[in-house]
Amino acid sequence: MPNDEKCKDCPGCDKKETRWREDFPVQWDKDEYVTRREMVKFLSLGSLLIAGANFIAASVPHLQRAGKFPKMKIASVDQIAAGDSQLFRYPTDEDPCILVRDRAGDLVAYSQVCTHLSCAVVHRPEENTLFCPCHHGYFSVEEGRPTAGPPTRPLPRIKLQQSGNDIYAIGIEV
Amino acid sequence: MNRQEQGTTLFTALLALVGVGVIVQLWLLSASVDALFRHDSGTPLHAAIASGVLFLINAALLLYLFGFDKRLRRP
Repeated sequence: MPNDEKCKDCPGCDKKETRWREDFPVQWDKDEYVTRREMVKFLSLGSLLIAGANFIAASVPHLQRAGKFPKMKIASVDQIAAGDSQLFRYPTDEDPCILVRDRAGDLVAYSQVCTHLSCAVVHRPEENTLFCPCHHGYFSVEEGRPTAGPPTRPLPRIKLQQSGNDIYAIGIEV
Repeated sequence: MNRQEQGTTLFTALLALVGVGVIVQLWLLSASVDALFRHDSGTPLHAAIASGVLFLINAALLLYLFGFDKRLRRP
């Protein structure tokens, strides 16, 4: 077929008919038509897939919790004075945490990621709080619960174990 | 309104309902992923339950559509 022959699918169209269209004839107008029924079926299948993805997302924290956290040395007792703090990473290098020794001398550690919008919290010894500078969120040093500002959930607490002069992180309480 | 027009309206409404349900599910999924990055384990669970309920509603609407088609084809 010569290349200058007009397209037969759409009457008003100026497109040139191509060879492959002649060799593999398809009713293009019917092929491209999607009925409401087909659309509902497609959306329902999409709905099933999204629900499945949602259940997978919900199971991720439980699967992570099932995996054991490593025991990792994070500091020495004599390195950190009362009212002082020290940064470390646990359980991976992607997870910043903060170790605080309160005025009473007790050691506590929390994830440094603010539960509001994931900024890094810092220790304010003068107020005995953990402070998020992004949106002025405050957390108590003793329990990690939010005391002021936009955060509503407590900071994840790092479980500590003291062995002689060494302080180890052994897990996370969410 | 004749029966054909009623059917068209019904299926358009059904399509719109299912479409809105899927959009809400997508929003729930994005909220779940956002919560995961914030180490929040409660929100994804609630979002998954809500998403499952929406899927059941969508599936019920689809079953209604299949039933409707079956009745139409019955001699």
